[in-house]
Amino acid sequence: MESEQYLAANLRRAVAEDPRTAELGVRITVRGGHVMLSGDVACEERRALVEEVLHEAAPELKILNDVRVTPAGEPHGEEDLR
Amino acid sequence: MIRVAAVGDVHLGEDMRGHLRPALEKVGEHADILLLAGDLTRHGTVEEAAVVADEFADLPVPVVAVLGNHDHHDDKPLEVAKTLEDKGINVLEGTTFTHRANGCSIGIAGVKGFGGGFAGKCGSAFGEREMKAFIQHTCDIAETLKGALSELDTDIKVALTHYAPVPDTLRGEPPEIYPFLGSYLLGEAIDATGTHLAVHGHAHFGTEQGMTPGGVRVRNVAQPIIRSAYAVYVLEGTSS
Repeated sequence: MESEQYLAANLRRAVAEDPRTAELGVRITVRGGHVMLSGDVACEERRALVEEVLHEAAPELKILNDVRVTPAGEPHGEEDLR
Repeated sequence: MIRVAAVGDVHLGEDMRGHLRPALEKVGEHADILLLAGDLTRHGTVEEAAVVADEFADLPVPVVAVLGNHDHHDDKPLEVAKTLEDKGINVLEGTTFTHRANGCSIGIAGVKGFGGGFAGKCGSAFGEREMKAFIQHTCDIAETLKGALSELDTDIKVALTHYAPVPDTLRGEPPEIYPFLGSYLLGEAIDATGTHLAVHGHAHFGTEQGMTPGGVRVRNVAQPIIRSAYAVYVLEGTSS
């Protein structure tokens, strides 16, 4: 059986290198039969794509998708650096 | 007084068209200039660059950008830059942009930057050809940044990069990957040139605030960090 460390490393590469995702900003943690995803992506569709790519790469794992969608609204206030 | 808006790592593609536009159309109410700290696309294709160009076109303030590693992925950085420039976005790579607002002048010097690591924990231009090329790329870029910052004669000088010039703003990232996230050589160039602010992206798990060894403020404006369409910093020049 593939060790969790190698598995997590291979899944990270899959999410970074698969053209559907190209995400380097998603953390992937494998524990037992679970894989937890965390971090931020730009939109809801990309959040689902990360899950899809991971599921194809490791269909036996149960995915906990805690990835958030980055807010893109106007800023609240400003930082005064004077 | 000049208000600088900045964001990096927006990673636009066709699926994101118009996503930032509502906040961008109001950028003039918040700021006098908008800086883009690289990774504007996902795969660096000209098609994605066209989405970026439309998203940031015709804004009420000047838009100044550098490219990031994602914008190089399709090996067409010049075409990507040209696509942005055709819509009025000023793309810097070893070059500068100056602007005047509220009686104050601001100069931006921009480079992509690169990795290598930070003082005491960095790579050297030694050994295999690939390793020497890796470090030499950073050395060349840092030298270019220093030259561009030195040329600026404005009340306020800002360094715009994609990669980080200090480790402070990487806090939250695994320390093992710091050498892929930035280089102290960029910080050294910033400290040698009387720069007021350094703005970068790239580190999605980092932290917003940091400082160079010489006391220059550094801000990581990767969108997952600032959690809005842009962050705004208010600066005052020495002679304004």
